[in-house]
Amino acid sequence: MEKRRSLFTDSPLKKKLLPVLLASVFALTACGSQMTGGNSVEGNAASSSTSAQGTSAQAESPTSGGVINIAYPAKAATLDPHTTTNASTKDIARQIFEPLVTLNSKYEVVPMLAESYEVSQDGLSITFPLRKGVKFHNGKEMTADDVVASMNKWLKVSTQGKANLSGATFTAKDPSTVVLTLQKPSLLTLHILADTAPFPAIMPKEIIEESGVEAVKTFIGTGPFQLEEWKQDQYVHLKKYQDYSPRSEASDGLGGKKEALVDDLYFRYVTDESTRVAGITTGEYDIAFSIPFDNAEQIENSPDVSSFVSEGGMTTFVFNKKSGLFSNIKARQAVNAALDLEEILISAYRDSRYYTLDSGLALPNQSDWHSQAGKEEYNQHNLEKAKQLLAESGYKGEEVTILVTRDYPDYYNAAVVAQQQLQAIGLNAKLDVYDWPTMQERRKDEKVWDFFVVGFAVRPTLHQLPFLDSRGGYPGWTNSPEIDKLLDEIQSAPSIAEAKPLVDQLQDLVWQELPIIKLGNRVNMAAVANHVQGLQDVIGPILWNVSTTKK
Amino acid sequence: MSGYILKRLLSMLPILAVVAVVVFLIVHLTPGDPAAVMLGDEAGEKEIAELRAQLGLDLPLVVQFFHWLANVVQGDLGRSYFSDVPVTQAFWEHLGPTVSVAIMAQIIAILIAIPIGIVAARRRGTMIDQAVMGVSLFGISVPSFLLGLFLILLFAVQLKWLPVAGYKPLSQGVWNHVRYLILPALALGFMQAALIARMTRSSMLDIIADPYIKTARAKGLKERIVIYKHALRNAFIPILTVIGETFGGLVTGAAVVETVFNIPGIGQLIISSVERRDYAVIQGTVLLITVTYVLLNLLIDLLYGIVDPRVRLNRKER
Repeated sequence: MEKRRSLFTDSPLKKKLLPVLLASVFALTACGSQMTGGNSVEGNAASSSTSAQGTSAQAESPTSGGVINIAYPAKAATLDPHTTTNASTKDIARQIFEPLVTLNSKYEVVPMLAESYEVSQDGLSITFPLRKGVKFHNGKEMTADDVVASMNKWLKVSTQGKANLSGATFTAKDPSTVVLTLQKPSLLTLHILADTAPFPAIMPKEIIEESGVEAVKTFIGTGPFQLEEWKQDQYVHLKKYQDYSPRSEASDGLGGKKEALVDDLYFRYVTDESTRVAGITTGEYDIAFSIPFDNAEQIENSPDVSSFVSEGGMTTFVFNKKSGLFSNIKARQAVNAALDLEEILISAYRDSRYYTLDSGLALPNQSDWHSQAGKEEYNQHNLEKAKQLLAESGYKGEEVTILVTRDYPDYYNAAVVAQQQLQAIGLNAKLDVYDWPTMQERRKDEKVWDFFVVGFAVRPTLHQLPFLDSRGGYPGWTNSPEIDKLLDEIQSAPSIAEAKPLVDQLQDLVWQELPIIKLGNRVNMAAVANHVQGLQDVIGPILWNVSTTKK
Repeated sequence: MSGYILKRLLSMLPILAVVAVVVFLIVHLTPGDPAAVMLGDEAGEKEIAELRAQLGLDLPLVVQFFHWLANVVQGDLGRSYFSDVPVTQAFWEHLGPTVSVAIMAQIIAILIAIPIGIVAARRRGTMIDQAVMGVSLFGISVPSFLLGLFLILLFAVQLKWLPVAGYKPLSQGVWNHVRYLILPALALGFMQAALIARMTRSSMLDIIADPYIKTARAKGLKERIVIYKHALRNAFIPILTVIGETFGGLVTGAAVVETVFNIPGIGQLIISSVERRDYAVIQGTVLLITVTYVLLNLLIDLLYGIVDPRVRLNRKER
């Protein structure tokens, strides 16, 4: 031991080795700023939502050909969308693969590889006739066998399949029809099948079988672009698929006619946000995602570039209902009464164009789920009421911990303002700041935090918001048999229309019980060169029907 | 000579052992979970636990360490949890860009530093000397990422002379390769230049005061020959040491510059792996960097003998 020690300490190498150790320690601590645009929101991630049209998105007469270089913020572990909900996988995979059904710009379910769908009277089976003549990128025609293999694997391995469609199976009725058989009827089934992550991509049967339960290694889909090259951690090169067979309906959200109007798409991984901004302004890139709000003005003043905003879901405070002060509903109500949400949102998003004040758990254009019920509880900024509620809760001045990350500046800025507002009602609030993976780890321990700041991506159903259902065990540990009961009742309602009063009740109950406080809806910002037209976004970018005049 | 090299190589073993233990512990004791990162935010505890078991992360830390060590001893650094690529392959794929930037930065640093170091020494105490030392102090103090961003703003965004960021391998043409390296190499090389210039100045000052330089001047040699042939060569050992050490620093410390300029090098590999908590890659890469660093230092020590016959090693090894 002594000898080893002296070899190390006496060696002149000790001095030379120091930078190596310092570099590794530095690397372990300096992981903050690179993650912007990664998984900033729960459920889905970096990108955004609906068919919000950017200023550059109106195509006059789409031209075809050319190359589009995209500065993309987060690297993908796999391009197999069955196995992860990460946006870095989904955003690229949706250009390559297609599902049976998908979402239009109002988040309604529309067929994609299925010609149509029919739900049986008892709701226990759904029949999907398949489109004919659809070819995979390897030239093979898609049949029911491919769909059955892909869908059954997705049911088995994906978080959505396991959580919502347990016991369900797909079978081939004939070479061009598949049938989904369910254990119990559910209003949500089609929405779950149309969800964007982890999305049920249809792949050739051989590839699915070869992969077992793991992610596939060969990426063959039916989409308008095919994978040309994936250079790990550098770029993904997609090429127009010449034999793509589009639907005949007009394009709408992720549904309808798709056409690859450019020959080549490069997703270039650019993790540093300043580099993405500089690169789009100099023409190095044609589209740059995850642009910081601080750079909005710079983008808007740039002559060759426009900003592109898309719906980014909601930002929330999630309470710890299991332990500490906020296990008491009065204390949660006190916080809700105190907050001035306008002030919080403006400090997080810089400009009123980048957020909206809205109390609904679904976005206003999610016509199936949006509700205004309970909105009188939203954004009260009533300090007297807050102080009174806090007194009723029996609060004795103990420290309240707000768990937050600096990896996403909007969450951090929201937390700082909230901390000041809560101090104004006598709440002894302190911030506990970590990098994102550490925060994810810490929030599992109910003893170390009182509420955390996080965003949730747009989801096709309310049931997929993880904080609602007590049985999900999401950090914060909602414990409301009433909410659970309403979720079940909505799920077993015969139709969306008949579920509507239940949705209102649910929304109202959430504002009474406050498992979370919704702050507002946010946008995601991208920058697009003016020679690029037709970009759209539904929970992530849509790059078919996008053209460039630069050749 | 070969005995010396063998001895030096053997002395690497305890260093590697210490680095292996320290890195393993730092990496595994840092909060965060590679399985959770890979599966995405929606994954339930059961799925995360399944993946952890699949990756062997559910075993006790000591068992994990010895599994890893047993494989490392056999030359197997494991596979990336994230991308399923062997760690050595990931390392070699990312080494090229880092070495390219480092070499370019070193060339820039040497070309700037040695002449101005000599000028400062010859004009000791003048305005020129003070200006050179002032700029070099600035060079040591300014963080390379900040300098990088300024360089991007000036040369890429405003003047549009060079690309903002990215990397093109040599196979896509020499100019294309170099064009993308100039700004990161400048950002990285500036601090090295400052260090080398300061060392050149002080080393030259020592030598210039020696009697043999006076003799050389007295016998009427041209100043250029006195400085470059007689003084510089003798002053070069400490300069070479700084060059060697800073080159090691260039290879291992380019993480931030690689991120700013989006160069897919070792630094980016480590930072991405830390974000993903890709333990296998972090551990393997840091070990390989250590080996590279130690070998580089050995190379520098051997180079002393070439530059200065007085320190040739075979004399000592009788």
